[in-house]
Amino acid sequence: MTDVLFPPLSKQTPDSEGVLATWFVADGERVREDQLLAEVQVDKVAAEVPAPAAGVLHRLVAEEATVRQGSVIARID
Amino acid sequence: MTLTDTGATTVRRLTTSKAIVEALAQEMERDPSVIYLGEDVGTYGGIFGSTTGLLERFGPQRVIDTPISETAFIGLGIGAAVEGMRPVVELMFADFMGVCLDQIYNHMAKIHFESGGNVRVPMVLTMAAGGGYSDGAQHSQCLWGSFAHLPGMKVVVPSTPADAKGLLTAAIRDDNPVVYVFHKGLMGLAWMAKNPRSLDEVPEGEYVVPLGKARVAREGRDVTVVTLSLSVHHSLDVAEKLAADGIDVEVVDLRSLVPLDAETILGSVAKTHRLVVVDEDYLSFGVSGEVVATVAEYDPSLLATPARRVAMPDVPVPYAHALEYALLPRHDRIERAVRAAMTS
Repeated sequence: MTDVLFPPLSKQTPDSEGVLATWFVADGERVREDQLLAEVQVDKVAAEVPAPAAGVLHRLVAEEATVRQGSVIARID
Repeated sequence: MTLTDTGATTVRRLTTSKAIVEALAQEMERDPSVIYLGEDVGTYGGIFGSTTGLLERFGPQRVIDTPISETAFIGLGIGAAVEGMRPVVELMFADFMGVCLDQIYNHMAKIHFESGGNVRVPMVLTMAAGGGYSDGAQHSQCLWGSFAHLPGMKVVVPSTPADAKGLLTAAIRDDNPVVYVFHKGLMGLAWMAKNPRSLDEVPEGEYVVPLGKARVAREGRDVTVVTLSLSVHHSLDVAEKLAADGIDVEVVDLRSLVPLDAETILGSVAKTHRLVVVDEDYLSFGVSGEVVATVAEYDPSLLATPARRVAMPDVPVPYAHALEYALLPRHDRIERAVRAAMTS
């Protein structure tokens, strides 16, 4: 089991919050390592979240939700 | 050896903007004569995400930020194309055609003909189009019908991420000038209202969608909706809703305006005998009239009820959200037109 984290985009304020802008993979789908899972945004900066491992994705955060950076947004089994 | 069944297969989805970037990157890898130039296409990555990451990957010799001088840099692209390169030039908004139209329709479109076919202009002119996000009358137009009206250019208008990739690949490889119009509301941008269908499966590797071939996005028996770009998705939403009422809508996505796939339009109308054309460009003298005329000239008796058009009325696009949404060809207007086509 591998946790997928919201990437730390703001270095100055490590506890800043961002938005999970887009999920590219549906809940329960199988993913390859490095496959694009999501796009997130902190302020105006966007970043891609690639799969840290291969497996089945379990989404833990809804699209458009506000998330503290560094927190778990999905699990890969 | 036993292969382990992995269960669910991997589906790779992209937004339209990422599909465009992938097509550009693959063609730039394949052919060193492919370059990209325009305003904010380098460091910024394209204001609608059409070139994100390309400068880092291919460098400033091939991904070129230009000054705000559309006539100059479109002319630059034409010259490069005439000399054998395959430039892709981005006009930031279709609305800006006014400041550079001489380069587009007197030069890019005509050099091949004026030279007796001896000079080719293998250039792609890309541009963002469409409204729905309160960007005002001079940043919300589609205008693809205007480009299609002027001879000498192919005109393609993708509606899905896969088509965005496949049509752009075909456009770059085509030896003719191609105008490639993407709708801002389909790009999958985080800051814009999202269309769920703007994120979809895109084939990896080389993927070519031939220019001039329409796509039946949904098969149906009762009414043909001929449409393009973002309006394809609104029409599909309406088709799904009306299916519950027993109305079976066929949705034809034109994908290309030039060449126009008359065969697919006529084949569908010959089956359903009812026609609604949905177009976000202006109503008069444009795409919707051309589609209706295509059917009428071929065989007016194909239509059991009068053809109907749902388009942007002939007024500048309003800035106010409520006014803009009242005029855009959205679900309510499309549904009314389909129901009217069924009953009269």
